[in-house]
Amino acid sequence: MTSPDLSPELAALLRSSRPTASAELRARVRRFGQPASAPAEPVWTRLRLPSQRAALVVLPAAAALAIASAGVLGIARSDAPTPQAARDASTATAEKGALQSGESAVPDMPTQGVAAQDPAIAPAISPAIAPGDDRAQRINATMTVEVENSNGVSSSAQKALDLTRRLGGHVVSASVATGQGANASLTLRVPVTRVQEAIAGLSALGTIVSQQVSIEDLQTTLDQLERRERSVRAQIALLVARLDSDSLDAETRARFESRLKNLRTELRSLRGGIAGTNAEARMATIQLNVITPETSGVVPTSSRLDRTLDEALNVLVWEGVVTLAIIIVAAPFALLLLAVWFGNRFYRRREEDRLLAI
Amino acid sequence: MTPSRRRRSGVHAVSIEVPSRTAAPTFASVAEACLDDVYGYLLYLTRNNAVAEDLTGETFEAAFRRWRRFDPRRGTPRAWLLAIARTTALDWFRADGRRRRREERVGATEARVATQEAFEGFSPVLEAGLRELSAGEREVVALRVVLELDGEETARLLGISPTAVSTRLHRALAKLEERMRHDDVA
Repeated sequence: MTSPDLSPELAALLRSSRPTASAELRARVRRFGQPASAPAEPVWTRLRLPSQRAALVVLPAAAALAIASAGVLGIARSDAPTPQAARDASTATAEKGALQSGESAVPDMPTQGVAAQDPAIAPAISPAIAPGDDRAQRINATMTVEVENSNGVSSSAQKALDLTRRLGGHVVSASVATGQGANASLTLRVPVTRVQEAIAGLSALGTIVSQQVSIEDLQTTLDQLERRERSVRAQIALLVARLDSDSLDAETRARFESRLKNLRTELRSLRGGIAGTNAEARMATIQLNVITPETSGVVPTSSRLDRTLDEALNVLVWEGVVTLAIIIVAAPFALLLLAVWFGNRFYRRREEDRLLAI
Repeated sequence: MTPSRRRRSGVHAVSIEVPSRTAAPTFASVAEACLDDVYGYLLYLTRNNAVAEDLTGETFEAAFRRWRRFDPRRGTPRAWLLAIARTTALDWFRADGRRRRREERVGATEARVATQEAFEGFSPVLEAGLRELSAGEREVVALRVVLELDGEETARLLGISPTAVSTRLHRALAKLEERMRHDDVA
């Protein structure tokens, strides 16, 4: 006892008259220590853990479970194709089907991060740009290939130009920039019969980042033009025969000559249209873009470990979100319970003070 | 951890016979060592020898039932027993209050008077002084002076701050000294 308020006399008096238990009470208490008086312990008390100790066990266990589940899901999902890859595959399939049916299609085949040399991808691309039997078609292809650096851009552009010329095509436009942000943009025209060869050759210049092929059927237009041409020719022949006869009056002859003139003008226009359409159907247009990783901002293909870590991180983020949601939902109830607990504690203290005030 | 490791300087610690350094104390040894402390505390609190004996018995019975849940790392066996004794005593105070109200309703006051007079075993001066104190004041005197618990341990036991313990003790001792001076003069 170190209280300065306590006088030595009072302290001595209090301690000298320290109460001692009677022999009866001592004997009564001693009986509790006998093995025979040991109460049967309920099963649940043996399983019960103090709350702090339980928290020390449960919280790390929950964290370990969350991390383990994230790891397992990450490994499992790293095997499965990514949603992007699945979409690529389905797009390629859809495109192939559309092209084989001869209908026009504008398929988008982003093959981001997939090497052009990949044999699994190459067959999906090649049939897509195969020209249809003998029908006139307009084929447009836009493709972006990625090369390693600025030197790769210029050499790839050069190779593309050489390839185009070798295949009997020509360059419509070319724009090549080197150095910082190097890229090349080429518009090429190649014979339809060799477009597959051209695409294959251009794909080999680097990694295909994206490819878009559109095929428009021109045969219907061509047929209409040819029918109209035949009709105009027939009308011209008829008018010429009429005009050759002498039985026409001056007014009729003038009208026929005017009409003949119009028909011949239309015939020239039709011939031009047919020639243009045939020319359009003979040559395919390829828009080639050559870029570097620096300009594309494309992330290199991730390894399986990276994918696993990414997936695990995603799972952990979702677990965190769910936990946060649970906390947000439970917070009002927890606060309510806390308020009840504090209220009860306050009431108990007041009651104790009242009881001990007597 | 053995109870001796949790001792603080200036605190009277109960010596408990422990068979070995690692073995936990048995209930019998703890009961033997702490019986007088628990009884004394309850006697100060209730001012009645018979009631204090009954409550001591109840305390040890309850302690025996809960003995497996006692964690030496969280406090000494004496503090644990005193906490049980306090709960037991508060329950008795509640029951006594209800009984008193019932008696007041029917006009019976004899039993209460008899209870008040059963406070024995002290010198007349001290007994008179202790009668002036409230149960709360007697409690803090018993814990801090008689049983020599330190301020923090007492505060934990009573569920109040150490400052409140000091204040309550100061007030109790002042009243006690005053009463005893008055008796001396008389």
